[in-house]
Amino acid sequence: MTTLAQSKNDTVGRLLNPAGRRKRLLVLIRVIALAALTAVALATPGFLSLPSMLSMLTTMSFIGCVAIGMTFITLSGSLMSFALGATLSVTTVVFMASLPLGLAGALLVAFAFSALITALQGFVIGYMRANPIIVSLAAQALIYGFVTFATGGRGIYPEGGETDILKSNLGVIPGPLAAFLLTVLIGQFILSFTRLGRHIIMIGSNRRAAEAAGIEPWHAITAAYAFAGICTAVSAVLMAARYASGDMEHGLGCDYHAISAVLVGGTAIGGGEGSALRTLFGALIIAVVQGVLLLNGFSTQMQYLIVGIIVLAVIALQTLGERR
Amino acid sequence: MSALTRWLASPSLRPFVLLAVVIVALVAFDGAQGRILNRAILFSVLQQFATLGPVALGLGLTMILREFDLSIGGVMSLAGCIAVMFGAGTPAFGIVLALAVGFAAGAAQGAIMVRLNLSSVGVTLGGLLTLGGMAYVITENKAIGYDRMDIAMQVNDPILGVFSLRSLVALGIFVVAALAIGWTRPGRDVRAVGSDRRSASVAGVDTGKIIIGIFAVSGTLTALAGALLSYSLAAASPVALADALVPAAAACIIGGVSLSGGKGTPLGIAGGVLVLCFLRSGLSAIGLPPYMHDIVTGGVLVVVALLDAEDLQRRLFALSNVSSRHA
Repeated sequence: MTTLAQSKNDTVGRLLNPAGRRKRLLVLIRVIALAALTAVALATPGFLSLPSMLSMLTTMSFIGCVAIGMTFITLSGSLMSFALGATLSVTTVVFMASLPLGLAGALLVAFAFSALITALQGFVIGYMRANPIIVSLAAQALIYGFVTFATGGRGIYPEGGETDILKSNLGVIPGPLAAFLLTVLIGQFILSFTRLGRHIIMIGSNRRAAEAAGIEPWHAITAAYAFAGICTAVSAVLMAARYASGDMEHGLGCDYHAISAVLVGGTAIGGGEGSALRTLFGALIIAVVQGVLLLNGFSTQMQYLIVGIIVLAVIALQTLGERR
Repeated sequence: MSALTRWLASPSLRPFVLLAVVIVALVAFDGAQGRILNRAILFSVLQQFATLGPVALGLGLTMILREFDLSIGGVMSLAGCIAVMFGAGTPAFGIVLALAVGFAAGAAQGAIMVRLNLSSVGVTLGGLLTLGGMAYVITENKAIGYDRMDIAMQVNDPILGVFSLRSLVALGIFVVAALAIGWTRPGRDVRAVGSDRRSASVAGVDTGKIIIGIFAVSGTLTALAGALLSYSLAAASPVALADALVPAAAACIIGGVSLSGGKGTPLGIAGGVLVLCFLRSGLSAIGLPPYMHDIVTGGVLVVVALLDAEDLQRRLFALSNVSSRHA
């Protein structure tokens, strides 16, 4: 009850002081941008057809799961990881290679593997306070190196259809979308209702204060990375099943798409402010933009450029609300 | 052991200690077959230096300022594509255009950071996606060939046995940068802003101008490397040069640049670049597969990231305390 009252007071205070004016301007810009996007989307012929919607949402879901993991990394104050794409790729390979253990066994191996290699980075970053960007670049190089060593750079294409069940849908809802929404729910639950979630956000907003309050930052940071690894594994097994292969190509460029969704959703790059739901909206906005561009005959290249400009604009706008 | 750690941890000596270790290790591995210490290897090392050097220098200068330029992959691809597309008639025009685009991209990102008080990671991430997108759009996502084989030969022709036009340009840039950082007032200001921005600002340094300037330099140097590399390969594509970030960051931190700002010199960065180039040329010369280079680069990055980690001392101290109490 008290927190509700406090947050209400906060909002009132923010609206009254001068910084509140900037915040309102920011909200106004966001509302206008969203309204414009919705209008353009609705005016685009074919946008509302079920097949186009479902294919858009399915594509979004693969990146979306990684983006939820990235959200945890960003929130914990570790900026971003450049290794999640490589992790996704190597997890598709590990998953396909361990299929002889049976589907359940392979899933277990894939999730444990992805969580472990990502948590290891989190441990180094949280416990030693090593630089997160450098650690993730190192992890990326090591993953590519060791996988090429182990597989000779070839993908794995197993016979048989053990993974076909992962391609099934929940009624009209595509499987990947259901998995993504579930990941969002779990992520948001952790952030809103668990001690771990509160610790992650506290450490991200002010590490020193969190330490002064008696929190060991590395516990929460390692856990945040482990969760990012699990989210990435969700995407990896679904992708492996969809393309019936484990291949280092699957995760290419995925880091950038994921961090774009995180930032467009409004999670602060410096950490401490944001949520899994915001990332869901970020992923949705990017997916709608790409869908609209595609249906209006723009090339994939143009989509890259426009998404880039949107990310830049969102980052520039973010401070409008934060600056004093 | 502790003397070695201290040596490796000392940022000014680290690249050269590592360089010596790498060369000795490669020679030992080679087993007196003469595959390492010869003219061809030196030429190939310097050719790689010509590409990686300027990029690492640009990134390193932003790191000395306690910033980080993620956009280098985008600038490099875009500059390479622009040079190849517009430099067929007059090669110099292609280079100048590419440099202008790199300069503008860097300065614009710096200005956004300074004016809006934003972190460089966020802005340059947006810059990376935008510039990379531009490279895709202007090339329509295709590899572009460059019809001037004469130029490709010319920039790569050996000079004095081991140099080429490209590597001489890169070496010249490092000399200029070392003099500018070490001996001029703006150079001193850069170091001051990197080690303590507020004090520098109080002392009368225009920190905004320094930040915009360094990002413009980073963009220009990266564009130069991208344009010259594309000329020498006689081709450019929007994807080919996009993964410059890992080796450049590795070279910088091997070279003693600290992510906490204020530390590092162009000489050290040159040393870091040489370590990576010797590794790549040496490993392939003694017949090891290319993935070994990824593994070694990654391993070196991990080691240096740990050496630079802010809490390493505290954690090691705590560990040794615990173990001595148990003993």
